[in-house]
Amino acid sequence: MADRQTLSAHKARFAHVPDDKTKLEMLHYMKLVREIEDRIERKLYRQGRIVGGVYVGRGQEAISVGTAIHMLQDDVVAPSHRDMGVFLMRGISPRRIIAQYMGRSTGLTRGRDGNMHMGDMNHNVIAFVSHLGDNVPVAAGVALAFVQRGQKNVALCYNGEGATSRGDWHEGLNFAAVHKLPVVFFINNNAYAYSTPLELQMAIPDVAMRAPGYGMPGEIVDGNDIVAVYDSAKRAIDLARSGGGPSLVEYKTFRMTGHSAHDDAGYVPPELFEEWKLKDPIVRFEKELVAEGVLTTARIDEMQRECEKIIDDAVEWGEQQPFPAAEEVTRDVYYEG
Amino acid sequence: MKLSTSDAYTIERPASLAVDRTALLELYYFMVLNRKLEERLGVLYRQNQVVGGLYSSLGQEACSVGSAYALERGDFLAPMIRNLGSLLVRGVRPIDIMAQYCARAISPTQGKDLNVHFGSVENGIIAPISVVGALIPVMAGVALEMKMHDKPQVALTYIGDGGTSTTDFHEGINFAAVHKLPLILIIENNQYAYSTPARLQFAVTDLIDRAVGYGCYGEIVDGNNVLAVLDVVRRARARCVAGDGPVMIEAKTFRRKGHAEHDDAGYVPRELLAAWEKKDPIDAYLRWLFANNVAESEQEIAGINTDITAILEAAADEVLAAPFPDPSIARENVYG
Repeated sequence: MADRQTLSAHKARFAHVPDDKTKLEMLHYMKLVREIEDRIERKLYRQGRIVGGVYVGRGQEAISVGTAIHMLQDDVVAPSHRDMGVFLMRGISPRRIIAQYMGRSTGLTRGRDGNMHMGDMNHNVIAFVSHLGDNVPVAAGVALAFVQRGQKNVALCYNGEGATSRGDWHEGLNFAAVHKLPVVFFINNNAYAYSTPLELQMAIPDVAMRAPGYGMPGEIVDGNDIVAVYDSAKRAIDLARSGGGPSLVEYKTFRMTGHSAHDDAGYVPPELFEEWKLKDPIVRFEKELVAEGVLTTARIDEMQRECEKIIDDAVEWGEQQPFPAAEEVTRDVYYEG
Repeated sequence: MKLSTSDAYTIERPASLAVDRTALLELYYFMVLNRKLEERLGVLYRQNQVVGGLYSSLGQEACSVGSAYALERGDFLAPMIRNLGSLLVRGVRPIDIMAQYCARAISPTQGKDLNVHFGSVENGIIAPISVVGALIPVMAGVALEMKMHDKPQVALTYIGDGGTSTTDFHEGINFAAVHKLPLILIIENNQYAYSTPARLQFAVTDLIDRAVGYGCYGEIVDGNNVLAVLDVVRRARARCVAGDGPVMIEAKTFRRKGHAEHDDAGYVPRELLAAWEKKDPIDAYLRWLFANNVAESEQEIAGINTDITAILEAAADEVLAAPFPDPSIARENVYG
């Protein structure tokens, strides 16, 4: 009974409900994201085996996974620094990601740039740009290229709420709206931009309130409910793909860590962490799936062990990879054809 | 004077606007001064006396004059290139602007910068910045200072429809909204950003739709009705001084000349120009002055016009007799 109730509740609420196979795939990726980020942030970083800082998306896994699941082969994505799910779902292996964080020559940037500054055009993932918001005009440009080539593809673009205060974000959204480009702008509104709380970032409660000012649809979605994320992303992506222009989808979530591994987030009231811990997107989805009869708790434990094994393997592989050779230092600085 | 015909564009005084006869005539004076000064500059331009470009605000005089007239002593205003009228209201003399355009040594920048590119702390004017949009964060900063020192004052600046697509517009107004700063931002939507029409600039009908996205109070005003502009800016000023945060105003108007004097605006449909010519802000205001018995006689109005012409001719004579800057001062005032 419980499963039917949940399912019918979802069907009543959403135009698009994932099938069981898709649900399991999404749960796997959410768990894999959590596992690789926990391993990097809580173990490898503390053991001094990571080069540079570490920025994770703990508590936000539903957003990257529930959106990127809709991507077609030739779609292009411009993620932010808390969208590890995008990389994994685009088929970039955990091995190469670990190698990247360890600064090894088999990492995505061949050990010449740190950690999440990674991309791979073989997988249509545009490298993350440190200057937050800069990926917005880039994604709009990708979408413009799709239109010019007559390609039925979409560009997906991710940002935090802090980045929406940046000029590039504004210019990119406006350009995309004027030219009705096939791009979707996802906002991970995790309530803090480093130490700046939402109310010091903007004088409005919802980033989506900006959408009408650009002439595009805006939607506010529970970012910790992957079924809601799946549905909203599907509608926005379908609209873009069918020539309906860009959308702004705001996912309400919470950053369950500091800004980075070196930041203890002492400025965040502890009760906020307590409140949001109860809304953990993975635990929540697991409970739903058990209630629906799609999964057993034993199977969940098994899935967890599978993820751990994948990451064990990745770490072991990463450790064996060489650091870049000094003579490679000028390679890839300029395009060499 | 012929009073309004049935199809003529007419303006009304907003019910909330209290204004005396002297002020009503001053508004007329400044709008005509604005227009005639630009016409005189047009002649100087054709005589090769103007150095650099000449930018006209033909048809937008009500915006500049009405908004600047709403300010008080101690307020700060930062104009754009088409806000020559705002400067006149703030006390800048026509000769100053003429000397600037002709790059003479007697100009406020000693002939070292052009057109309206000068400021005056005494007159509450921040020098404009060519890079459109850049004034908004600057004026947000001026407003922040006012707030930090509890000054009952406001900062006012302008942006065109094109300038709303810039980085600085977004960052500046967001900052002002978050910190509830006493900033008035007037979007002069004159429907062309150089040759880019509004429909290629933004995908909304009204730019004021953006105000809600910043948590900022916003209003649309007929930018060709000087009384409506004065009224909306006065009310905006009261909101700002009361600590209610910034106000965004979209003034609907039209740029009736090219981007600058060298641009014939061949890309603007003729019928659009003709339609807006009928909505001339000065003609409409003059009809209102007569219809409401503010102007006592045609002679009174003619007297104002004659006075203005005399001021401008005297200014032109003085400017043309003035020297260009001496090369020895080139490096003066480059740094503070």
